[in-house]
Amino acid sequence: MPRTMTFAGFSFVGHWQKITLLLLLMVSVCWFFADTEVIALEPWIELGRMGQGFIHPNFFATEYLFEALWQTISFALLGITLGLLLGFPLALCYQHPLIAAICAFIRAIHEIFWALIFLQIFGLSAITGILAIALPYAATFARIFSDILQQAPRHTLFSLPKGTDKLSAFIYGRWMHMYPQIVDYIRYRFECALRSSAVLGFIGMPTLGFYLESAFRQGHYEQGGALLILFVLLIGSIRFWAKPIFLWLYLPLAIYFLPPIPAIDGQIIWRFLSVDILPPMLQGQPFLSWFDIDILSKVFDWAYKLITQQVFPGMIATLVLAFCALGLTYLLTLILLPFNTRLMMPKVIILIMRAVNLILRSLPEYLLAFVLMMLLGPSMLPAIIALALHNSGLMVFLMARQADSVTVPLTYQPRIDQYSYLVIPNLYPHFMGLLFYRFEVIIRETAILGMIGVMTLGFYVDSNFSEIRFSGALLLLVFTAGLNVIVDYLARRLLH
Amino acid sequence: MKRTHLLSAGLLSLFSTFALSATFTFTAIPDADESNLRTRFEKVADYLSEQLDVEVKYIPVKSYSAAITAFRNNQVQLAWFGGLSGVQARGLVPGSEAIAQGFEDQYFKSYLIANHSVDIKSFDDFPVLNNYTFTFGSKGSTSGRLMPQFFIEKNLGKPVEQIFKRIGFSGDHSRTISQVEAGVYQVGAVNYKVWDTAVEKGQVDTSKVKVIWESPTYPDYQWTVHSGVDNDFGAGFKEKLTQVLIGMTDKDLLASFPRSSFIPAKNSDYQPIERVAKTIGMID
Amino acid sequence: MLSLVDIDLGYKQQIVLPKINLSFNENEHVAILGPSGVGKTTLLHHLYQQLSEQTCLCSQAKGLVDNLSIYHNVFIGGLARYSRCYNMANLLWPFNKPQQHISAICQELELTAPLHQKVSELSGGQRQRVALARALFQQQPVFMGDEPFSALDPLMGLRLLNLVKQAHQSVICVLHDAELALAHFERIIVISDGKVVLDDKANRLTLAHLSQHYALADTVKNAVA
Repeated sequence: MPRTMTFAGFSFVGHWQKITLLLLLMVSVCWFFADTEVIALEPWIELGRMGQGFIHPNFFATEYLFEALWQTISFALLGITLGLLLGFPLALCYQHPLIAAICAFIRAIHEIFWALIFLQIFGLSAITGILAIALPYAATFARIFSDILQQAPRHTLFSLPKGTDKLSAFIYGRWMHMYPQIVDYIRYRFECALRSSAVLGFIGMPTLGFYLESAFRQGHYEQGGALLILFVLLIGSIRFWAKPIFLWLYLPLAIYFLPPIPAIDGQIIWRFLSVDILPPMLQGQPFLSWFDIDILSKVFDWAYKLITQQVFPGMIATLVLAFCALGLTYLLTLILLPFNTRLMMPKVIILIMRAVNLILRSLPEYLLAFVLMMLLGPSMLPAIIALALHNSGLMVFLMARQADSVTVPLTYQPRIDQYSYLVIPNLYPHFMGLLFYRFEVIIRETAILGMIGVMTLGFYVDSNFSEIRFSGALLLLVFTAGLNVIVDYLARRLLH
Repeated sequence: MKRTHLLSAGLLSLFSTFALSATFTFTAIPDADESNLRTRFEKVADYLSEQLDVEVKYIPVKSYSAAITAFRNNQVQLAWFGGLSGVQARGLVPGSEAIAQGFEDQYFKSYLIANHSVDIKSFDDFPVLNNYTFTFGSKGSTSGRLMPQFFIEKNLGKPVEQIFKRIGFSGDHSRTISQVEAGVYQVGAVNYKVWDTAVEKGQVDTSKVKVIWESPTYPDYQWTVHSGVDNDFGAGFKEKLTQVLIGMTDKDLLASFPRSSFIPAKNSDYQPIERVAKTIGMID
Repeated sequence: MLSLVDIDLGYKQQIVLPKINLSFNENEHVAILGPSGVGKTTLLHHLYQQLSEQTCLCSQAKGLVDNLSIYHNVFIGGLARYSRCYNMANLLWPFNKPQQHISAICQELELTAPLHQKVSELSGGQRQRVALARALFQQQPVFMGDEPFSALDPLMGLRLLNLVKQAHQSVICVLHDAELALAHFERIIVISDGKVVLDDKANRLTLAHLSQHYALADTVKNAVA
């Protein structure tokens, strides 16, 4: 009797299944500890007001609207440009572990917090906003470009004529291979930069967010609705107005029409570095006295108190929130993806879903959480859902492009079984890679939800800034960044 | 010779705080309506400019901490601060002075408001708030955070973290009202003027949310001026500025703050605020 | 020109060709044959690394940059002759002189597509000719090719081989087509099972000799087609 070869089911659990199971396990543990209480509410009066606002948006309620729109674009454009100028050289030496670590650190801090730091140095100035975009974006560019350039085929370099200078070899032999991917990525980041630019309005930059946040915070929903519609349209129409040729025109205009920049004051920078960022007991003390036992023990007490009362609780809340949001993002993306690919749905549905995606990924999580809070109460739940909706909108947008380019056999039928056998396995590794990258982003974004009261690290950072305690804020930021660096490292280890 | 002189002067002006800024700059965030900030306060700037005979500019800010930073860096020389932010700002800029306050700010107060679904008992004229959910306004607010926290902790004898089941910061007085109205939080602390105005304008459903306690009075908003203005804009500028602020009678201008008039003030008026802030640990 | 004495060849830990002994002379036309996966390319790359000062390497179409035009892809062969500034400027705004030169080479290779066309839009045969054009533009005394004519029809392949022979003193090619090797190369090296199994003058060999060492089935099929 011939013995057929069969395996126990367990041996079919491959690399990706294991990673998925691990992810789902982590998510359920975090979900168990998360504060997801739904509180019975009477949200209808307020939601009715919001609905009214969106039905009757008032496009004339905002002063200096055109200026705000223009500055939103201009900050994004200048931020990206400066980010590219810094990011390119960094990408070339990204192999150096120190450069990689510094970049991970810079990336880990949200644009808003960079802006709050630069606010202390440059004041309410365009420099603050542009640097707050440029710095973290440069660090991201460095990593992504370095990753992209790694994938360049080696053969051209190998067969280059002996004696070719390094620059020509790099440009002709590696750069030009990956040029389209790099341009694609820059285009995608420009959309992100527009969002960042708007969000910087929340803390006082003269962009759309300045008015958007006030309008929602104070219940002027007609104005808020109109601004949100404009913002979604602005992002949705990027490919019509942001053609590469126009950008050469926008760039000088953006510089020319920047709001007046107050003079940079060396004394303020020095004061920030030599006084503000020191723990309170060291401020104004001569350097040598810092190491007195007395003062050292005070510094230790200060740090211990901050770490036990703010850093650890904040870190745990951040991780719990981020894991729950990650799990929900995973599920939502898997569910929404088939509705967004030509391999499953007719064109009409895809068009509708494109609009839904656009809205999901354009809405700042902050506003989503704000609306959801009215429905679900002040637990972690609104923040989890807001993060998941926003991120799955982005994931689906990126994955659908990928899905459409999968080649399927001619016999392919748009059915869920064929989709699962022929499409999903092709996408899954990329999907998981993207998801883990989003995890890093989600952790960073929990910062901004801290500003509406979810007790993440961002909440404590914001509290320290608003109590004018820069040393505390910076200590928290160092831990926030450290957390992100570790998560980034673990995610990379897990994926490779 | 002359050219190097010009060059060094130019460089100096880039790096010196006390470069003569010919423009007098101020900032203000009103405690209620923040819509059309620039349009409204540019009118105030025009008034000041006309009266003071210098160029006056208004810079909009989003938060008290941003206003404090701008004041500290001498980006603005005059600011309309809340009680707490004024104390913090003057602590950071030695020699700066509170010169005028709103008429209402001599005896400002906060309300505690509660959703209709909770039935809160009072003991010794103070509501027993244990185990409810609670929201402050913004983190740096005097009437929405500092004073309510002080009064609650004093009356109930415990830090707020031990009193409430959950504490939030709505970020704004109007949002505190709408969140307590919707039951997102059961109890909240709010600036009395914002509440009264909202009730007057019918923007709040008083069958859903009501005032349960009214705080004792305390000093609040004030105009604080930078120490160096007499140097930069001529001797006697501070005095002149005080007179111009107090002399502001145009209803339209006053409505931006909103205050009925301005009266003189001094730093010592705000000692109670400073003491309270130290008591609850908001300043060291 | 070059001698290999007891050299181990391979990637990282995996030695594909242990203890190889071979020597190559100037003005020689050498064909390297053998079953696929046996290490011919490894050997060729090693030779290239030893002689890279005077050699151009042309391998099928692997070194092409898809996003660049035909012109730029061929120009890559001349990168070492120009300064970096010239090379960068040429990328943005192609210069006239190299254009004329390259255009002449392309005409010889019967590459009729416009010079500004992107390489990604070309057929396999056209791409292979772009790779050859790059090698010719490099102007080196030694030509090394890794199946440089595999995607061309036999007639065209022969014509281009002659062009290559005219332009270079020495030619070393890894080939698939045993008949082409026997008819147009002076020396044949056959590699199989990790060693050199045959190294002799071509005029002393026949297809039968070669088939003793590896299956020629696909080569014959190719020749028929």
